[in-house]
Amino acid sequence: MKKIQLLTGLCTVLLCALVFHIDAQNPKGKYGSFALTNATIETITKGTITNGTVLISGGKITAVGTGITIPQGTEVIDCKGLTVYPGMIDSGTNLGLSEVGSDPRTTDFSELGEVVPQMKALTAVNPNAVAIPITRVSGVTTALSSPSGGLFPGTAALINLHGYTPEQMSVGFEGVVLNFPNSARRGFFDRRTDEELKKATEAALKNLNEVWERAVQYYKVDSATHGKNAGYYPEMQALLPVVKGEGTLLIEANAAKDITAALKWVKEKKIAKVVLTGVAEGWRVADQIAKSKIPVITGSILELPTREYDRYDQAYANAGMLKKAEIKVAIRSEEKGNQNFRNLPYHAGFAVAYGMDKAEALKAITIVPAEIFGVSDKLGSIETGKSATLFVCDGDPFETKTQIKQVFIDGWQIPMQSRQTLLYDEFLKREPGVSKK
Amino acid sequence: MIKYFYNKRLRPLMVASLLWPAMSWAQQGQALEEKSLIAPVGRAYAITNATIVQGPGRKIEKGTVVMKDGLITAVGIGVSVPPEAIIIKADSMFVYAGFIDGLSRTGVTKPKEEKEKEKVKDPGNPPAERAGITPQNDVRNWLNPNDKSVEELRNLGFTVSQVVPYGNFLPGSAAIVLLGGKSPDDMVLVNNSALYSELSGAQNVYPNTVMAVMAKFRELYRNASLTKSYQSVYAANRNSLPRPENDRILESFYPVIDQRIPVLFKSEKVMETQRVFTLKNDLGFSLLIGDVKEGWPIIPKIKSSGAKVFLSLDLPEEVKKDEKKTDKPGKDVKKDSTKNEEPKKEKIKTPLDLEKEALEKKKKDAIASYTSQPSEFTKAGVTYGFSAMSAKTKDIQANLRRMIKAGLTEDAALAGLTTNPAQLLGLSDRMGTVDNGKMANLVVSYKPYFDEKSKVRYVFVDGALYKMETKEAKKDDKVSAKGNWSYSTETPQGTATGKLVIKEEKGSYSGTITNSFTGKEVEIKNVELDGKKLSFTFQYDNSGATLNVEVSVDIDGNNFEGTMTAGPNGSFPVKATKDPKF
Amino acid sequence: MRKIFSIFICLVCSVWVLGQDKGSVLIKNGTVLTVTKGNFTETDVLVKDGKIAQIGKNIAAPQGVKTIDATGLFVMPGIIDAHSHIALDAINEATSPVTAEVNEGDVVNPLQIGIYRALGGGVTTVHAMHGSANAIGGQCETLKLRYGTLDNDALKMEGAPRTIKFALGENPTRVHGGGNNIVPRTRMGIEFVIRQAFSQARKYSEDWDTYNKNKSVKGFRGASPVYNLRLETLAEILKGNIIIHCHSYRADEIFMLLKVCKDFGVKRIVFQHVNEGFKVAPELAAYGAMASVFSDWWAYKFEVYYSTSYNAAILTKNGVTTSINSDDGEMMRHLYHEAGKTQKYGQLSDDEALSLITINPAKQLGIDSRTGSLETGKDADIAIFKNHPLSVYGVPQFTIVDGIVRFDRANDPADMRLMPDPKQNMDDVYLSDKGRDHCMDGTEFLFGDLSATEKK
Repeated sequence: MKKIQLLTGLCTVLLCALVFHIDAQNPKGKYGSFALTNATIETITKGTITNGTVLISGGKITAVGTGITIPQGTEVIDCKGLTVYPGMIDSGTNLGLSEVGSDPRTTDFSELGEVVPQMKALTAVNPNAVAIPITRVSGVTTALSSPSGGLFPGTAALINLHGYTPEQMSVGFEGVVLNFPNSARRGFFDRRTDEELKKATEAALKNLNEVWERAVQYYKVDSATHGKNAGYYPEMQALLPVVKGEGTLLIEANAAKDITAALKWVKEKKIAKVVLTGVAEGWRVADQIAKSKIPVITGSILELPTREYDRYDQAYANAGMLKKAEIKVAIRSEEKGNQNFRNLPYHAGFAVAYGMDKAEALKAITIVPAEIFGVSDKLGSIETGKSATLFVCDGDPFETKTQIKQVFIDGWQIPMQSRQTLLYDEFLKREPGVSKK
Repeated sequence: MIKYFYNKRLRPLMVASLLWPAMSWAQQGQALEEKSLIAPVGRAYAITNATIVQGPGRKIEKGTVVMKDGLITAVGIGVSVPPEAIIIKADSMFVYAGFIDGLSRTGVTKPKEEKEKEKVKDPGNPPAERAGITPQNDVRNWLNPNDKSVEELRNLGFTVSQVVPYGNFLPGSAAIVLLGGKSPDDMVLVNNSALYSELSGAQNVYPNTVMAVMAKFRELYRNASLTKSYQSVYAANRNSLPRPENDRILESFYPVIDQRIPVLFKSEKVMETQRVFTLKNDLGFSLLIGDVKEGWPIIPKIKSSGAKVFLSLDLPEEVKKDEKKTDKPGKDVKKDSTKNEEPKKEKIKTPLDLEKEALEKKKKDAIASYTSQPSEFTKAGVTYGFSAMSAKTKDIQANLRRMIKAGLTEDAALAGLTTNPAQLLGLSDRMGTVDNGKMANLVVSYKPYFDEKSKVRYVFVDGALYKMETKEAKKDDKVSAKGNWSYSTETPQGTATGKLVIKEEKGSYSGTITNSFTGKEVEIKNVELDGKKLSFTFQYDNSGATLNVEVSVDIDGNNFEGTMTAGPNGSFPVKATKDPKF
Repeated sequence: MRKIFSIFICLVCSVWVLGQDKGSVLIKNGTVLTVTKGNFTETDVLVKDGKIAQIGKNIAAPQGVKTIDATGLFVMPGIIDAHSHIALDAINEATSPVTAEVNEGDVVNPLQIGIYRALGGGVTTVHAMHGSANAIGGQCETLKLRYGTLDNDALKMEGAPRTIKFALGENPTRVHGGGNNIVPRTRMGIEFVIRQAFSQARKYSEDWDTYNKNKSVKGFRGASPVYNLRLETLAEILKGNIIIHCHSYRADEIFMLLKVCKDFGVKRIVFQHVNEGFKVAPELAAYGAMASVFSDWWAYKFEVYYSTSYNAAILTKNGVTTSINSDDGEMMRHLYHEAGKTQKYGQLSDDEALSLITINPAKQLGIDSRTGSLETGKDADIAIFKNHPLSVYGVPQFTIVDGIVRFDRANDPADMRLMPDPKQNMDDVYLSDKGRDHCMDGTEFLFGDLSATEKK
């Protein structure tokens, strides 16, 4: 009898394991109350707490500090020797919009048309994209997923990397993307002559100004008619919040010349909420950016210099130089081709290795992007009342060998699995080996 | 008979010939000397009372050169002038041996590009023509003494060129030609002077890259060696041996393998030059390199290679003076800028200003390196000639002066134009100096040739006289390209129309063109107006692929007509009228 | 610095600079990571005439030998990138599925600024490869980064074994089957193309052997076989004189090539990229084949969809000699960091991780007797780091090739172009072309406008 019970028990365990493996592609998260105890806590905004506790309940951080009483029914996770950090935010992704880069049938980040701000990234984010678990188990919990392509390629969305519908994933922020007319070459394969390049830039700027003029007109008609008689102009409707000064415009500009032109354009058009993105040559015009008070999301950090005669480490040093000029700087990975957004902490780490203050670099991937996107009430630091979106690791999160032990997103404990870890488990000791026995 | 025919027909035109550009019609009688443009071979000439620069460092003041039957028959002071000689009074003028250009396509007609190249079924194994492997081609097939380029180069004092066919990789054999004559054969001094090659690949088919070009070169060469030696075995005793296959391509290498002729490579760039050396070292042929622009950093390597060298007459453009002085008001910065740093309003230089200065300096230094190339070669003791291949004819004289300013002695420059190329091409017995017995190839200039604003007055090629127009083009005859033109062109895709705007500034033209296909406006380049002939190029953006379009038209008042050539897409007729409002 | 500076002075004076100069230097008091012989603190490395002469404590500097104070710094072997396309003027002869005769050694370009940038990442040796457009591509060249010379031969590592690029999967099938409508369009076709080439080469080799034997007989009067550089090269592979480096991703195609090599008696083979190498690690190990992988690249095309960043660790733990490569001018500047990722993904030891970018790639290129570790008698190719090289904070300070300091961070003059183009517009800005397929450079004409999504 006992044997049978044992056998049944064993079967159950086996079955569970099996079921678990079948589910393994997207294993389930766990929601509840958790206490992360004995932890070092990097709050980001309120210093470092040693030997402290973070309480998680109802999706929120309910307490942070030392000497905290743990309520009954709370699952205790001993974090001795470990550190708690707020989840990292990558502002340079197309997560959920791309599965296999070279296969257009699996990519959804670039719609036809030069001026299509009404194309919303959030619509096409695939909550089951394979890259999502791969990203979050490395502590990157939140991502700005951006469309790319023409002048106004669409509207980006900030998402948390857990959920089954776009609504569940959405953090609330959305921003219109503007690829500011670009005078730089898109890579060495771009063999346009100087004149061609100049003409193309001028034409694009002309187009931009025309679009903007129409948007302003639309705004006037819209306000005059109280939104009733402005007509169906979806792209203008998408731009309306930006014209009104309520929505954010994410302006991608990289060459020094283009950054200057973008700043001038923003000033001329009196656009209230602007973020500069890319900003590869920001260091050349740092004083101008600082003067404008416009925040910056820079990256990729792991890049070649933009000019042949630039110092070899210029791209690594850029973020630190911008910070030194007292610009508000967030760091993004922009590793779209390889879907390697998990490398975000290494981009920050390289910025530190090449001159940026470490604390600032940590902020640049947590609280600063949260502030830029207006979600610092929820994300970016370990504070009571904020969303329980955080991770636990065994060392400096920028350091390459550091292991991420726990990830929580909106209070959900995330299974530390992805397709890549599963392949490891299966193939480290493959069975059968060379012979089929 | 032919001569008679020409003379008779042309007599009524004599007076009108004043208006003709300096070219090609036979003349008669001493009285007409000043007006004569070319004299028939066989005439005797004497250039008197001139400064004769017989060769580098050899000068005769107030001397006389006598020519007869295409040869120099006397040089010196007080030499007797035969009574039949036409006397050219060259008081205060300067006489030099005719210049020799080591590599160009002067007088070589560019074959018409096929309209739509047929797609090759297997790009890895294309027909030899498509692959650019036509070493059996003879440049004489494309020679044309009336080609504009012949006259243009001759007007600068060049009398001989080594010319090669158009094409990539192995376009054919080179020939040394006179820049004059009536027929292609008339021009040729030395046929098959070299096997010509370029390290450039075929479009979209094998060999496409430099590496494949080099691999294929090796393979062809080694195969040629093998077939050649088998052919000699076969020739010795044909009994019981299979007949060797005939292969014109491989046979073209035989004279190279026998060291009877060299391989002539265009090698502008520093890497290209070294790659040519790699092939030479692998295969052991004798080598001529032409149009060398970046030889200056590798002079020892060039010297030890044993290759014969022709340096390019092309130079990178100088940085314009007004570009350099940025935003400073001119007056108080006059003084020696290194000493005086006092100007009160001196802006504090930002790191970016300093960077810009350093970059500008580096660019200037780079240009200087190119410009001083010939003098560096002279210093290193390398014998070199010059080549006109990629130089704009109108820049050549100025470029020579820039080289001299950068340290080249006038003697060395002259040697590079005369004695050296004669030696390198094996022509020293015939040309290179003004000496008895040499071919009557001469240049006569108003001032010393390398002086600022020196102009060539006469050129003798093989004893034939060419007289240069010296006066400014007649104003009343002036054709103007300036203005706004509306054009239309018939292409396989239908009619395209657009606006062409041409501006003129100090004799140089620029402008823009639009077209109804793309709606884009692009800059036009290489705008040149020569008489009534207007030519320019522009880049046509064909959904990502840019196409270089060449336009050549004849202007007639407010209209022009001509052709537009769009690379592989062929040529189309183009017409335009000028907007009268301009 | 002094050295670098003098190189530039020399160039300005247009003095011919020999790239193959050898230098002497004493590196004092560093933490020496030999990779193969353990780690030593407060230890000196003496370099004489381009070779490591001595590793030990308190070595006195011989007369005239400069000293680098490495107190607090880490001294490691120069990094070797087994897959690179820098310093080359042509990458792909994409016109034919087999182009064994073409040779990257012919198109080395020592002027490229990327060489200096790589030195800035501690790299001293690269495997400059043909692209992946063809089933059998061209021969590759092992280069030492002797930046500062214009001599196109000076970078070539004298005595390094010959290598050749093969490629399986999507790239060759796309170029030839898709682009030109000729075999191969499938992985079946690729196997056929390689087997056919090997078979022809075998026949060619036999024909020449027969001819050469006959030729030595007195009175022989026959014709030679037609000389064919392609078959000539392939025959050298079959003779074991050229190491195959094969671009590959999927397990099945890797296994296929192992079988082909076995059938033709080819022993030396290194798989490149080999994202699914982990699936056939036991087979690779059994054959003695090696693997050169990305640390974590995936998702850029379908054949890398089922990748894992644990690849290097799985291969290593299964006994496959594994390296981490870049295939990219930017990534090659932080191969030390890429190697460090194996400590996150698979927890390799420091020596195991460092081996991936030093002694293992050296083995794969057949140059491990001379490079890849700090040992007496080896070439003095050395990288000196502030902070441990596997740390994200590791920053290369000096990079030494053959005993000559080619990179000195403290004295970096910023503009390191050797031969500025007098026509170049100085405002030229090049933005990222990250994720662009250098392996496919030179094949654009087959596809018209190469979209941004075309990847490796």
